[in-house]
Amino acid sequence: MEIIQVVNCTKDYHSDGQIVHALRGVHLSLHKGEFAAIAGPSGSGKTTLLNCIGGLDYSTQGNVYIEGTDISKLSPKELSRLRLFKIGFIFQAYNLIPVLTALENVEYILLLQGMGDSNRKRKAAEVLELVGLKDEMHRLPHELSGGQQQRVAIARAIVSSPAIVLADEPTANVDQKTGSALLDLMEHLNKEKQITFLFSTHDPMVMKRAHRLINIIDGMIVKDTLVKRKNK
Amino acid sequence: MIRMQNVKIVLMIGWRNVFRNKRRSLIVASSIVVGLVVMMFSMAIMNGFNRQMLENTINTSLGHVAIHKKGFFNDMKLSLSFMPKDLCNAIKNIQGVACIGQRVKFEAMVQSSRSSQGVLVMGIEPEEEKCVSNIFEYAGSDIHSYITDSSNNDILISRSLATKLGIGIGDKCVVMLQDKDGVLAAHAFIVKGLYQSPIESFDKYVVYTGIRKAQEISGLGNAISEIIVRCRDKDFADSVASTINSLDTADLEVLTWKQMAPNIVQAIKLFDTMMYVFLAIIFISIIFTIANTMIMAIMERYREIGIMKSIGTQPSWIAAIVILEACGLGVLGIVAGIVITYLLVAITATTGINFAFYSESMRVWGTGTTIYPFLTATNSIVATVIVLLNTIVASLYPAYKAAKIKPIDALHFI
Ligand SMILES: Nc1ncnc2c1ncn2[C@@H]1O[C@H](COP(=O)(O)OP(=O)(O)O)[C@@H](O)[C@H]1O
Ligand SMILES: [Mg+2]
Repeated sequence: MEIIQVVNCTKDYHSDGQIVHALRGVHLSLHKGEFAAIAGPSGSGKTTLLNCIGGLDYSTQGNVYIEGTDISKLSPKELSRLRLFKIGFIFQAYNLIPVLTALENVEYILLLQGMGDSNRKRKAAEVLELVGLKDEMHRLPHELSGGQQQRVAIARAIVSSPAIVLADEPTANVDQKTGSALLDLMEHLNKEKQITFLFSTHDPMVMKRAHRLINIIDGMIVKDTLVKRKNK
Repeated sequence: MIRMQNVKIVLMIGWRNVFRNKRRSLIVASSIVVGLVVMMFSMAIMNGFNRQMLENTINTSLGHVAIHKKGFFNDMKLSLSFMPKDLCNAIKNIQGVACIGQRVKFEAMVQSSRSSQGVLVMGIEPEEEKCVSNIFEYAGSDIHSYITDSSNNDILISRSLATKLGIGIGDKCVVMLQDKDGVLAAHAFIVKGLYQSPIESFDKYVVYTGIRKAQEISGLGNAISEIIVRCRDKDFADSVASTINSLDTADLEVLTWKQMAPNIVQAIKLFDTMMYVFLAIIFISIIFTIANTMIMAIMERYREIGIMKSIGTQPSWIAAIVILEACGLGVLGIVAGIVITYLLVAITATTGINFAFYSESMRVWGTGTTIYPFLTATNSIVATVIVLLNTIVASLYPAYKAAKIKPIDALHFI
């Protein structure tokens, strides 16, 4: 079964009396274990698409199914629960709660899910170790580098084993080398833990790393290619 | 369902948020401190004012409980006197009674060669009166300027009366009165001492002599006008009065200080009400400061709140975090405010605050010119609760605003 199914999705924004067609009839299916990138120039609708898939925004028309549930029919409260349990989010920057340490930021998701004290700490620590931040666990976000902050965001996104991790330009705010390392990490998690990733980018270096490349221009998917990768 | 661990994390985020923008938090906390100090210190001064007004009235003349012939309190006629018999001993044995004193009271005219003045003559038992009232202290705590032999023709008058009559210690004056049988008579007295009480109207009107002398010139014999009871604490007055009432007091009237000085009790109530109105005004301005600051903080954290909501935080958590942050500021302000207030009160309670520049009105109120502030536990609790409630009220609207932030708007915000 598809984890995500987008059927004929449109999204219109009204601003200053003008209608902006950010999405114009998008069809998309994603399977478990995919490592897919939405690529397109700035303003092409990548963020809008991810927001509609992630239940952060309603599409104007069409349907979005997450593991078979039509999320366009959910109330804001139900959407909030769906985001909490089914979706991991990684944003471009400033992902973390500034007053919580790396560990607490990761624990936070588990707290929201209602997990008890001892399991929570252990699990959060495990995931932080997995993303290579064993020694930085007790630091506050501002005591971490941009790359480390994104690693914490990745840890937080995967800690509750969501159906899919959505990442909106996760490497846009870090340098090339750090971005590449972050991609290594996500790819590793995808391969080892079977975590499904869908991220957006306009960076050719990042596009090259995707196993599936979905090109979007002007709110329409113009090309959708599976990339055969020889070795990691 | 509220889980402990959720309360903990919400508290933790709220509390840590307090320390993010230290300057801003300091401004808010200081405004709370200033409000609280002003509020509590005014309470303390008011307390001192009220207590002194009351104590002075009790100490100059009223005592805690007074026993008169029925009707005497409203009309001081010599005919309304009574024989104390063994009542005095019975009262002394009542629990909570510190001491008692007998008095003879009548109206008379004091004359010097220069002037004359209508007065109230108080015939006192010199030793007992030292415990019952403060007249000994008001006369300078000096045995040589106080009445020692209650059958001598010594008289104590106030400084202001002495000035008016143009006489001083050792000078003669004449007391003219109509005795019990209606005979007008004049008696010579020698000024033994001068006193000054904190109550202006009292000084204008009251002179002291010994009880035997007063009985002699008024023709009362062994009868007296009143028994004044001093309790160990003024709050015992009601219970002591009711015990006295249960003794054989058929044609006598037992009054407590509250019954004898209803105007003071009223005044204190009025002052307290005015106080709270004044405080409400102070705190309305503080509410706006806090609300403003919290709105500013939320605007700054717009994206962060959006992210928290994106990943599944319920609006109620966001609201709770904002309210708890305000409470954190409130608690800091309260702790600092209470410490500062108590220091201020501790210092001024020993030195007193001199309102000499205001002394005319102070004498009218009978408080004395130096006020000694003090605070009760209730004051501190009331102040703390008021400030906390204000803080919570002030944070409600910002909390609502924060809870309503849509993740999608916040994500575009950067
Ligand atoms: N809240 C909004 N109001 C109006 N127009 C918007 C809004 N969000 C996005 N858009 C417009 O929708 C189009 C797609 O935007 P977006 O999805 O952010 O693109 P991308 O993420 O690919 O840069 C753009 O033309 C953008 O200006
Ligand atoms: Mg974008």
